[in-house]
Amino acid sequence: MKWRRLNNILHRDIGYLCVGLTIVYAVSGIAVNHAQDWNPNYKITHSKKQIDPVNGVGQLSFEHVNKIIRQLDIKEDYRSFFQPDPETIKIFFEKKNVTVYLSTGEVEIEDIASRTVLREMNYLHLNRPKKLWTVMADIYAGAIFLLAITGLLVLKGKNGLRGRGKWLTGIGIVIPVIFSIMYL
Amino acid sequence: MIKKFIVVFLVLFLVTGSVIAEEKKFGVELTLTDVTKVSEILDNPEDFVGKTVLVEGTIVGVCEKRGCWMEIAGDKPFTKIKGKVNDGEIVFPMEAMGETARLEGEFQKMVLSVEQVTEMKKHEAEEHGTEFNPEDVKGPETYYQIKVTGAVIK
Repeated sequence: MKWRRLNNILHRDIGYLCVGLTIVYAVSGIAVNHAQDWNPNYKITHSKKQIDPVNGVGQLSFEHVNKIIRQLDIKEDYRSFFQPDPETIKIFFEKKNVTVYLSTGEVEIEDIASRTVLREMNYLHLNRPKKLWTVMADIYAGAIFLLAITGLLVLKGKNGLRGRGKWLTGIGIVIPVIFSIMYL
Repeated sequence: MIKKFIVVFLVLFLVTGSVIAEEKKFGVELTLTDVTKVSEILDNPEDFVGKTVLVEGTIVGVCEKRGCWMEIAGDKPFTKIKGKVNDGEIVFPMEAMGETARLEGEFQKMVLSVEQVTEMKKHEAEEHGTEFNPEDVKGPETYYQIKVTGAVIK
């Protein structure tokens, strides 16, 4: 078999194998690239409500907490509650946290929704699992390295590395070098 | 037919139960078995600086952005202690708020300069979507935290 045919077969088949993970890394890459502007793992929404103030109590009992929850018309059971200080109480639900400022009755509700699929993509992209996933990620890195090299050699002539290929490859190398010089 | 249904139901129930009841582990395995009360640490923090401690309590705060810290409630009212990790080493999930956790790690003391306190309070205000008031910074501050190496969320 001629080497170019083997090269193209490898490029094609490794390419197919890498589609799934490349999509994961690409989508997650954009998401975490903008982590300063948004939360790539959770959608957190805040809302406010008002209930009757609770004055002069200090440490709240279960009855106080149940009364607060009834006023908020929350049907689900709470997990636990905590008072960071005598004037505030935080009540924790499965996907919601409620903060009540007791003397004013002001309530802040924080609804937490996991960004399903995206969060799992980020989890893999950032190598949170560690262990065997580190090996898989290294194999993927090796595979896209092979894709890059075999990709250079897919075509010959004016559409290959000797023609337009050398210019486009050169641009692709110069861009990160320029950014490195600018920012490092 | 009914017997098969019962067997399938029991198997599913046991499997589901074991999944639900499963503890979530983060970082390295816990090495200590004796839990130190948060109040004991907060009452005499200097006695614990540099020592490895294991604490347990309700999770009352988790870093929204990177899951890089968690606060657990103390055994005395209105108290809590912070467990911090390096970004990416452990990621504490936000949905763990309100659950019970055990944290193990070295108890640390940090003395922050005015500039460092300012940066920290600015960062906290950003995280909570509140406004930072420079007048909140009165001077250098001392903070204590646990540098978490392992955690278990029940």
